[in-house]
Amino acid sequence: MMPAPATLVRIPWRRVGLLSIGATLTIVLLLVALFAPWIAPFSPYEINVPERLQPPGAVHWLGTDELGRDTFSRTVFAARISVQVAAVAVGIGLLGGILIGLSSAYFGGAWDMIFMRNMDLLYAFPAVLLAIVIMAGLGTSMVNAMIAIGIIFIPGYARLSRATAQVVLRQPFIEAAITIGMSTPRILFREILPNIATPLMVAGAIGFAYAVLVESALSFLGLGAQPPEPTWGEMINSGRGQMTNAPWLGIVPGAAIFLSVLGFNMLGDGLRDFFDPQLRD
Amino acid sequence: MIQFIAVRLAAFVPTLLAISAVLFLAINVIPGGAAQASLGIKATPQAIARFNREHGLDRPLPEQYVAWLGKVLQGDFGKSLQSGTPVGPELLVRLALTLELAILAFLIANLIAVPLGCLAAYHHQRAADNAFIFLATIMGALPNFWLATLLILFFTVTLHWLPPGGYVPFVEAPLENLSLMLMPAISLGVVSSALLLRIMRTGMIEVISSDYIRTARAKGAGQGAVIWRHALRNALIPYLTVGGVEFSLLFGGVVIVENIFLLPGVGQLALIGISQRDYPLLLASVLLIAVVVLSANLIVDVVGAWLDPRRVRTVRSA
Repeated sequence: MMPAPATLVRIPWRRVGLLSIGATLTIVLLLVALFAPWIAPFSPYEINVPERLQPPGAVHWLGTDELGRDTFSRTVFAARISVQVAAVAVGIGLLGGILIGLSSAYFGGAWDMIFMRNMDLLYAFPAVLLAIVIMAGLGTSMVNAMIAIGIIFIPGYARLSRATAQVVLRQPFIEAAITIGMSTPRILFREILPNIATPLMVAGAIGFAYAVLVESALSFLGLGAQPPEPTWGEMINSGRGQMTNAPWLGIVPGAAIFLSVLGFNMLGDGLRDFFDPQLRD
Repeated sequence: MIQFIAVRLAAFVPTLLAISAVLFLAINVIPGGAAQASLGIKATPQAIARFNREHGLDRPLPEQYVAWLGKVLQGDFGKSLQSGTPVGPELLVRLALTLELAILAFLIANLIAVPLGCLAAYHHQRAADNAFIFLATIMGALPNFWLATLLILFFTVTLHWLPPGGYVPFVEAPLENLSLMLMPAISLGVVSSALLLRIMRTGMIEVISSDYIRTARAKGAGQGAVIWRHALRNALIPYLTVGGVEFSLLFGGVVIVENIFLLPGVGQLALIGISQRDYPLLLASVLLIAVVVLSANLIVDVVGAWLDPRRVRTVRSA
């Protein structure tokens, strides 16, 4: 009998492992957000004072808060807000960043200088603080949180789009496209954009993680979606007052933020390793 | 070198002006909030108009900005809309606390990142390396306000080791000050050490595989001497740039952490400014943080140039 052949293809565990854990956590989060009404056993708003501050148990899996609302249900519904805010914010950031970055790289000159100087400026400023200032100006609401977080993403994505587009611009096929008289928008979006999509996708996944963090920081400070809407940040903030008798109120929503951020970060890192193994170490 | 510093200093002023304009605009996008917040919901339109006239809020934004900037340049940060007291002196008192917190947090971040990053690089592609990378991934996903909450739960509620919050100036009671600053600084520092650890590791791996390190090894230098004496200085060059950015980012967290641990710093003042719509207060505190951040970046640039003289040349040729 022949000995079993040695594995010909070694599975690169580090490469696939990171990606699959990240993808799993991300998919779970998206499913929870999507199917929240079916997953949550209770309404996230329903006040039930006799059942207040129940520890985790058979009925309330993760306990109840000071108004008797089910912590698990609130955590599940809060995932919706986090995912919505992060998706819109990353969308705004990518759209603005790509427009500014691509056009800066393509047109160069004064246009490039003015835009990128401004981007550098915003980039040097602490992003969370900038988001807080924008929220102060716009007023506190979920939509404004999306806008504020989206704006703080623009500089980073603009810098990335510009740097990667500049590499693509030096390739002969761009020269060919210009020579045959292709229109500028077509060159920008049909020729250059697909060639810089991969790094932008990776940055998008990591941006998602950051957006979840900033959104929860804003709602922790009371600057995000307003109560009674459940958000992870607001839940931690109100849970802090019950640390001695109901520690789960502070622990559970934080764990949800942590796992979501971890998932998106690992997904981003995994995607990067997958598409560009050279970047690894 | 002197020319390099001069170029950077010259860029400092326009950058700060631009940031001040951005902040001023962002805060004043929607007019009229301050009067409403100060006078209450039942304020009559006449009362609101009078409030706006008194505080110069009825003039066009660019005019308001120039007037505000002119005063700031003379060291007058305006008066609080709520209490009527000048903002400037209050800010200076609070700056000491905020700087202490940021520096302590940065110190903790580096105390974690530099040794662990070097160790990870030294054990490159072995179990220890993977473990440290994993640790960095974990630390990077922790929200600082949750870490703060968990620290309070563990060290204050459960163990009764540390006070939950409050502040005593360092000069009055150094030990008490440090015990009050420890948890805030850890919650900020641990989170920022995540990226720094990765940068340290990558930089170190690159340096270790360079020719001069091989020469040092060939000449019989021990492992410790190679890492700490020969490699670290060069590995610190890319690290420093990221460190500067990371130090700036800390100030975003400062606002949150000061709020949790009841520390009367600049960040807490900014939050009061937001919740009471006290715009002079908010603008002055955020502008002060911008000055600190820009100064930190300037210092990082200069130290980087001192560590790596090649940088000075690229600036000159640019």
